[in-house]
Amino acid sequence: MASKKNCIITIEIGTNAVRVVAFDLTGTTIASMKGSYPTFHSQPDYSEQDPEQIFITMLYVLKNLLIEHIHPHKIKVESICFSASMHSVLAIDKRGNPLGNAVIWADNRAKKEAEKLKNSPQSKIIYSATGTPMHPMSPLFKIAWFRHNDKERFKQASKFIQLKTYIIQQLTGEYLIDHSLASATGLLNIHKIKWESEALAYAGINSGMLADLVPIFESAGKLKKAYQNSLGIHADTKLIVGSSDGCLATLGAGVKDGCKATITIEDSGAVRIMGNKVLNDKKQRFFNYLLTENCYVSGGPTNSGGVIFEWFTKQFGDFKNPFDMEYTMKELFAVAAKVNAGSDGLIFLPYLLGERAPIWDANARGVYFGININHERQHFIRAIIEGILFEIYSIGKTLEEHCKINSLSINGSFASIPLCAQIIADIFNKPVSISQHNYSVGLGAYLLSATEMGIFTNLEEAAKSIVLPEQYFPKNNLHDIYMRHFDIFEKLSVKLKDDFVDVVKLQ
Amino acid sequence: MSQFLLQKENSTELQLFEHINEFAFKKNNSIRLNSFNENCSDCLRLYYIIEGKFDWKINRENYTLYPNDLVIILPGQELIAEKGYLEIGSLYWLKIYLNIQHNGNKNALGIWSSISAPEYISIKKIIFLNNVPVLSRLTDAASIFSQLRNEIFGQEIGYVTRVNQLLDELIILITRKVTQQSICQRDFPQAFLKLENELRKDLSHHWTVEEMAAIVGLGTTAFSDKVKNFTGFTPINYLINIRISEAIKLLKKPGENVTDIALDTGFYSSQHFATTFKKLTGYTPSHFRKKNI
Repeated sequence: MASKKNCIITIEIGTNAVRVVAFDLTGTTIASMKGSYPTFHSQPDYSEQDPEQIFITMLYVLKNLLIEHIHPHKIKVESICFSASMHSVLAIDKRGNPLGNAVIWADNRAKKEAEKLKNSPQSKIIYSATGTPMHPMSPLFKIAWFRHNDKERFKQASKFIQLKTYIIQQLTGEYLIDHSLASATGLLNIHKIKWESEALAYAGINSGMLADLVPIFESAGKLKKAYQNSLGIHADTKLIVGSSDGCLATLGAGVKDGCKATITIEDSGAVRIMGNKVLNDKKQRFFNYLLTENCYVSGGPTNSGGVIFEWFTKQFGDFKNPFDMEYTMKELFAVAAKVNAGSDGLIFLPYLLGERAPIWDANARGVYFGININHERQHFIRAIIEGILFEIYSIGKTLEEHCKINSLSINGSFASIPLCAQIIADIFNKPVSISQHNYSVGLGAYLLSATEMGIFTNLEEAAKSIVLPEQYFPKNNLHDIYMRHFDIFEKLSVKLKDDFVDVVKLQ
Repeated sequence: MSQFLLQKENSTELQLFEHINEFAFKKNNSIRLNSFNENCSDCLRLYYIIEGKFDWKINRENYTLYPNDLVIILPGQELIAEKGYLEIGSLYWLKIYLNIQHNGNKNALGIWSSISAPEYISIKKIIFLNNVPVLSRLTDAASIFSQLRNEIFGQEIGYVTRVNQLLDELIILITRKVTQQSICQRDFPQAFLKLENELRKDLSHHWTVEEMAAIVGLGTTAFSDKVKNFTGFTPINYLINIRISEAIKLLKKPGENVTDIALDTGFYSSQHFATTFKKLTGYTPSHFRKKNI
């Protein structure tokens, strides 16, 4: 084997952890490592992360990966490509130092700011310009929240940036934001690819207070000398700004054609399609994020993913050993597999955390419906799983009002569980393929880097290189059974709206 | 079983145990007003309910106590019987001094105890941090209390050693129970977040893996595996992440002395800080500071 080898490194700054993956130039994983960091909830609606801890963790993991897997084999690092969770906001002062922690996507403190704009006539204009739903996750509202509720920080802030911008700035000194992440801020006009003045005005800032907008292929600048030395990386290693986790997970799932949807379910979930057209939904139910010019990732996010099943496991699972979540979950799945489709008429609404798409109701709460005297523990387990997947289907169904979906590609630790994959195929009545790759975001970032290097002529060709061999097909007439249950599920989600408000008052 | 009350000042039985302030068993058959006046706020006070139901206010919170409950009142905490008198029933109590120091060793429980200094640090952390005032259904404690009583009154050969051993045993039993009761051993992320907060609260402390594991309520091997799996780091390396990221924040503030920063964030010395910092970031702390201020 030739001693001279090359690799592409991808750095994914996720919600719970940073994941660093090294790929060879054909897209095969050489090594991967992760390092986690905490989310702090100092108040009920708050979700914050420490930018310095994320930076140090990223540096530590990157360094370990290089020392253990790259340098000993004399592999040359061609490029490093970044991706990150969407919607984070970090205020920094004139010297570039963080003013407190970063506020991440899960933070709901800006509820009022979002509600206010949603109910105003401006809402329509800003949604069709920015493509981001009116929700407290959006940086637009978080900045507006600072403006009205943390005046000191707002006054001291010279910029409002994202966590990825901060990490890149620490490494290279430049303040950059790629079009993808920018399109998830609620502040970018996705048609003109310029900051939207109406949105800036609502947030109370000017465009000088945001990072510089660049395409996803753009260089992130040159790595500072000190880091070149400590990491042992050449000065000519390209740093690529990259994109957002959502857009790259879609690309990494091999979706680049309008008729295929990607379903991602980890703790939370999303159904996405990619195409050259913005979905201007009258009810503002979908996001439209920009991958590159004229290429949009559209879809709906849900709060009710694997985290709901984890909650159930913690409460009702049969733990043999302390903290043995994995084994306990596996057991519950084995039990659920033996129950009939539809859980014999037991229906579960999974809204323990409120819900985003498609009902966009922060007050929504969980419901078991239709319990009878013959239902047993195993029905409750299966109903939880079906409830989570019905919610995914309800996003897919609303997406189909805009475009036809022929097949599905799924990824994420919860969606890839075989029982889930089969139920998805049955509920949607469409063939399902699973990305056998564990790191679809990293894989998307690899495709981006490889395209930048000229290995693929464009992203379309890059996406086509992804082979998804594992297939699940809908089973006979299960679809009809599921649909009879789903009808009730869907009706309840809407019918209970006022009752959700009442019950939240008691909580 | 008959009542007894041994007090440091009055009882010869306690002469050889200067760390025991009071040891008693009380059978309360009738209600007498003002019969429950609790002081001795510098002792660790333990009450073990044998019979009856008691409504007590511990540190201004109400608790209803049942047989086999063990009540832990930390030094400085307040205990009040809600009705102003001791209710009908029977109970043991024991008051011991935690801070009798020998040869200036603050970290040891006292010369009488064979709990090692590092283990005692962990024990103290667990009991004081968690602040669990009531341990329910602690039947194992009943036999320790009755053995204590037999040893102290029997005074057979070796009883001094046995009494002290039993006290150690009781303290260890309490510590273990406190961890189990305060941490739900299902949700590792939650337990880990709690640990993270404790580490950050006392970052200058030179945490050992044993101490960290104790907070999560696991043995060190299981703890290290879980942490590695969950965070990607060994416990000590994860701690270094926190130390460095806090140090970075302090370095970015003008006016903080680098040696102080090193010690405040838990490094042994400014040299140790500089080496660790440079290895990870490529900068020495002072160089990093120059670049960022």
